Amino acid sequence: MHQFVAWLRRGCFVEGGIVGVLDDVFVVELAIAIAAPSCARALAFHGADVVKIESRNNPDVMRLFGSVWARELDPALYMDTSPYLGEMCANKRSVGLDLKQPDGLAAALALLKSADVFITNYSTPAVRALGLGYDDIAAVNPSIVYVAMPGFGSDPAQPYYEYLAWGPNQAPIVGLDALTGYPDQEPAGIATIAPPDYFAGLHALTAVLTGLEHHERTGEGSFVDIAQFETSVSCLGPFLFDNALTGRCENRSGNRLSWLAPQGCYPCIGDDAWVAITVVDDEGWTALAAAIGGPANDARFGPLAGRLAHHDELDELIGAWTSARTAAGVAATLQNAGVAAYEVLDNVGVLHDPQVRDRHWFQRVASMRFADGDVFGSHPIQLPETPGSWWRAGPSMAEDTVEVLTTRAGLALIEIDSLIASGTAFTTTQPEQRLSRPYIDYADALGIHRTAP
Amino acid sequence: MTGPWSGVRVVEQAGLTGAYATRIWAALGAHVIVVEPPDGHPLRRLPPFAPGHAGAESSLWWAFFAQGKHSVVVEAGSDEHAHILASADVVIGDVDPALGPPQPAHDRQVVVAISPFGLSGPRQHWKGSELIAWASSGLAYTFGFPDRPPVAAATPVQFAAHVTSLYAVSAAMLGLRGVRRTGRGQVIDLSMQECCLSLAPETGVPLFLDDRVHRSRHGNRRAVSRPWGLYPCADGFVSILIVQPAHWRAMANWIAEATGVDAVLDDAFNEMHVRWEVSDFIDDLTEQLTRPRTKLEMFIEGQRRGIPTTPVNTVADLRNDPHLASAGFWRDDEHPTLGTLTGPGAPFRVNHDWWQWASAPQLGEHTAEELAAV
Repeated sequence: MHQFVAWLRRGCFVEGGIVGVLDDVFVVELAIAIAAPSCARALAFHGADVVKIESRNNPDVMRLFGSVWARELDPALYMDTSPYLGEMCANKRSVGLDLKQPDGLAAALALLKSADVFITNYSTPAVRALGLGYDDIAAVNPSIVYVAMPGFGSDPAQPYYEYLAWGPNQAPIVGLDALTGYPDQEPAGIATIAPPDYFAGLHALTAVLTGLEHHERTGEGSFVDIAQFETSVSCLGPFLFDNALTGRCENRSGNRLSWLAPQGCYPCIGDDAWVAITVVDDEGWTALAAAIGGPANDARFGPLAGRLAHHDELDELIGAWTSARTAAGVAATLQNAGVAAYEVLDNVGVLHDPQVRDRHWFQRVASMRFADGDVFGSHPIQLPETPGSWWRAGPSMAEDTVEVLTTRAGLALIEIDSLIASGTAFTTTQPEQRLSRPYIDYADALGIHRTAP
Repeated sequence: MTGPWSGVRVVEQAGLTGAYATRIWAALGAHVIVVEPPDGHPLRRLPPFAPGHAGAESSLWWAFFAQGKHSVVVEAGSDEHAHILASADVVIGDVDPALGPPQPAHDRQVVVAISPFGLSGPRQHWKGSELIAWASSGLAYTFGFPDRPPVAAATPVQFAAHVTSLYAVSAAMLGLRGVRRTGRGQVIDLSMQECCLSLAPETGVPLFLDDRVHRSRHGNRRAVSRPWGLYPCADGFVSILIVQPAHWRAMANWIAEATGVDAVLDDAFNEMHVRWEVSDFIDDLTEQLTRPRTKLEMFIEGQRRGIPTTPVNTVADLRNDPHLASAGFWRDDEHPTLGTLTGPGAPFRVNHDWWQWASAPQLGEHTAEELAAV
């Protein structure tokens, strides 16, 4: 079986037959956006068969962020052009099911009966209303690892149980936004990404792997309840202790820390060009001061206490020095002297970054919709002896309905036809005209690595 | 020792890049040994400190992140160090790529080697930091106000390090699964830059390759629609995020009630991009609503109306949050020298008795016992 799966995914046989350490794990995902999908994405990279249940009536919000250039296309095609989708749903299979129909729910439960893991970030009232609460699924599959990720937890007795939680709204409530930015300005917040979503997703990854371990050892299933609110507040431990003991309230500090200096982003030659510099110890400061020369060598700045006390002055000296140089030049000069420094990269910079390119972070992966494939990031966890890989970009909605319902739910083709005829299940066929991302040539020029097949 | 990972020996020789998630792993039953030099782990020297205390046990970073771990003091490279390493199923450590990839002590050992840029590539020897992880992943460029330099996300928290630690522990768990499948361990190369790159999709390269829109920092409201971001209140800020049409209709009704400006109810504003085009108009009305109210009023009443609002909480606000208190989030750690430390307990819940907690170890508390055992 593993040999066959390997052949399907890689176009070749793999020695030992392992295509990722999770190639014996079957996961069902009922989820939107990032928190739960980012966890299942990691499982899929390492070989798990992840089936995403999708509905036309309630599409994953990722599908609503289709490409600007695709707005004029057929709405179904537009939904499938979202760059988030290729990335967040990579390696997953999509099954189209209307869970509000009794036979749609029955098909989902048939899938879940053989699943090792169920992961959802639907609100608890919503999954319970669908008939997919923990008790519902445990009734057909008591050994399942069920991971629920509602914003505020699954306990109806708690005050925020019914509250709406959207990714960018979580960094504020967990305390991260107030700690971001300069102390003399409004909180800058982390408006452009949603760190608590990923943080919750990473906790879910440890929870799934722990649930699988627990199952290996005891045969038991697990119900794991992950409130995004609680996972992110957890990393504020030292400041929460401090507040409890002293009443002090840690505040945002720009780029500064109380235990090292100087640290900051400094202006360089070019439009909005910056270099990040961190001096971690006295040797680092000696090296930076030597590079800058002149007043930077003042003895006042020698010890850490002096550097902390005169940080504004140091910022001016460093900024005056960097302003006459390029960010790449400053970074190379300082790194040669043993000081941590890097260009503050924008997306063009990331694409050209020597590490990003040499380590093939961005990969071009086969896609049913895009004739030239789709480009997105690899995974931070690489297991060299049992490698995971991307074998396809996130699927079109319902791309795998028939295959999944036959192989995983055990339905006969005639039963699936009847579900499709009644609108309970739906499917997508290969588009007649395959698309291409407008800037794929640029990716080619950069030599972005193509994965097999 | 019970817990789902009982019997698994983990040696940790990392700084902040390992600390957060190994604390969780220890509470889930793994036997986590922190190897410390004679003058103590670097986390023992990070402020804030417990009031009235000084020395190796006083850092609140250590008191939190070392909960449930075992402290063994050995000189790096000594025979004792080698014995401890040889006893481990998993080693999680910061490595200097200049010294080459770390060597596992035995065939079944899983080694997670954490470094700023990974163990390969032209910049593998470059030095890193929390700020540099945000800078080298394209994310710092998008945080902050346009009139000031870019900033890291929540600098005091060291969030990128905690993200890295969660990847490190998940990598180790996957590696152990590999041992079960193949009988062999492996060395896992974890780059902090790549850990941060994995957080970037909403602003990152795939989107850029699709639309070539240059996304830079633009303060605390996102440049996609309005209201979308932070708004000033009587006692701080509230976050308002209007995505779906129903959210906007509820928001427009509230604005109209509070300001008497019925023009906001015009159907034209139902479109996200229209509200973005008249940002100043929408923001001005929204602020008329938010400025006289507290962040908690905005949160509770907003949610009651079906609008995704949240308070911009400070550390002190979180300590007073009614939900965290009611949900039993807080745990009192009875620390042998610092007294009662009230802080986060388990980060998630499970229907088994998985979690077990203990205070952070004293410097070298377990040296004799661990060395005797190996």
